[in-house]
Amino acid sequence: MIVAEQLTKRFGDKTAVDGVSFTVQPGKVTGFLGPNGAGKSTTMRMIVGLDRPTSGRTTVGGQDYRALRAPLTEVGVLLDAKAVHTGRTARNHLRAMAATHGIPLSRVDEVIRITGLDSVANKRAGKFSLGMGQRLGIASALLGDPHTLILDEPVNGLDPEGVRWVREFVRHAADEGRTVLLSSHLMSEMAQTADHIVVLGRGRVLADAPLDSLVRAWTTMTMRVRSPRAAELAGLVTGPDVRITSTAPGLLDIAGLTAEFVGDTAAAHGIPIHELTTTTGSLEQAYLALTESSVEYKTKEIS
Amino acid sequence: MTALATEPATRTRTVSPYRLTFGHLLRSEWIKITSVRSTWWSLGITAALSIAISMMIAGASSGFGPGFPAVSAILMPTQFTMLVAGILGAIVITGEYSTGMIRSTLTAEPRRGAVVAAKAVVVAALMAVVTAVTYAIAIVATSPLLSEGIDWSEPSLSIVPLAFGVLSMVAFTLIGLGFGFIVRNGAGAIATTVGVLFVLPIVVSMFAMAGESWRWIVDLGQYLPMNAASTLTAPGGEDLVPALLALAGWTLIPLLIGWGVLRTRDA
Repeated sequence: MIVAEQLTKRFGDKTAVDGVSFTVQPGKVTGFLGPNGAGKSTTMRMIVGLDRPTSGRTTVGGQDYRALRAPLTEVGVLLDAKAVHTGRTARNHLRAMAATHGIPLSRVDEVIRITGLDSVANKRAGKFSLGMGQRLGIASALLGDPHTLILDEPVNGLDPEGVRWVREFVRHAADEGRTVLLSSHLMSEMAQTADHIVVLGRGRVLADAPLDSLVRAWTTMTMRVRSPRAAELAGLVTGPDVRITSTAPGLLDIAGLTAEFVGDTAAAHGIPIHELTTTTGSLEQAYLALTESSVEYKTKEIS
Repeated sequence: MTALATEPATRTRTVSPYRLTFGHLLRSEWIKITSVRSTWWSLGITAALSIAISMMIAGASSGFGPGFPAVSAILMPTQFTMLVAGILGAIVITGEYSTGMIRSTLTAEPRRGAVVAAKAVVVAALMAVVTAVTYAIAIVATSPLLSEGIDWSEPSLSIVPLAFGVLSMVAFTLIGLGFGFIVRNGAGAIATTVGVLFVLPIVVSMFAMAGESWRWIVDLGQYLPMNAASTLTAPGGEDLVPALLALAGWTLIPLLIGWGVLRTRDA
């Protein structure tokens, strides 16, 4: 379990993280979302003791990270793929990391095999592609078989097979009862992987909720109705909070009503329904709605 | 990446047998320092330079007159190799900053003082062994060239200056390491180290010609690392305590400041 309490980090007069509190529960994959510069990486760095909070605190498993006596067995961390000496081979990097805890070489070879680094293990890390570097970072995080995984953009640069592997791996880890905190900019990937979402914007927590309730709260459910008497049906269900659009004859897109109400109304008036499909919004839509006002580096709308 | 089934399903909340210990940390730092090429380049250059210069001095020693102590031929190259030692000390840590490795190091061992101590012990031990071996090779290689060999029956003309030579090389390495921890940037740390080890003694020596009123600078200059090391390694030298304290100060103070910097700054 990871806990952040009123976590604040200022760099000069810029506040990168501003009173952030959240709890990452074990047995779940918690997605950490936010625009660039929202404070995700800084928060993760504070959790593992690299940056010292200006105020507030974080704990992992109830303890300050800096007080852990076997941190690699408690927390596996991937902050960026470039936390490796470029002149050292992947295997020697992992050997050096493992040695700090007396983790045997057999485990080094095991994480090399698990992450598919066998063929490049004796190559210097400076020659690695982004994807290989990412795999090496994940291998390093797995060395101590940790209870908690903190992965910043783990799928960045991975091939589709690697992306799927990370997704299955973190799901598996959460199912085993581990705590997983994962950041990514790939919304579709996050929607498939995460159970719970924490959204940061401008250094503050914008949302902290289960994935499906977040999506429900921040998107509108729309419904597609196909009926030969569409116009008549539209007239019957219309109301102040109801938005009905029609892109083709006999076709309605309705927002602001439940499928039950529309279906029952049609039945009560004997209107035949050929299709009634509800579409919930995507995580991406929810995310964009949430962070709309807090995007630091906003792209100009192309008109 | 292979199937998840290969991940051992040891999801037990039992206490892991793996622990951070200082011994483990030393082992890790040993693997780190011996697994990058820059270490072997630095040490190789140090040894080759040292042995070659020793042989040149030994070859020319017949012209120095009868008073020339043979052990000086072994120790005089230190004036040059100290730079490589300082640079090695600096890059051991600045290489971690430039590559980002420091973040891996500090997440594995969050107690930063232990990181400083482990690095210092490992780089010092490595430099001590390499210097001792270099001296041994130089002694063997120069013996046919010397008209008068090393007088092993007199410790102050043999083993004592040699031991101080090893100590000085270790001190130079640790000075570089200390500045590396403080400055963090490779070029900056190397420039600072070279400045202290090599440039300052030259600057100070210029004041020797400046007359009595500048005498204090020259006197103070005796406590610069290189000058202290020269005093310590001078054959038959006496009153070595001030030089020894000066060298210890130059070694420990940057390391302590470096430790303070590492503790307080974000990595």
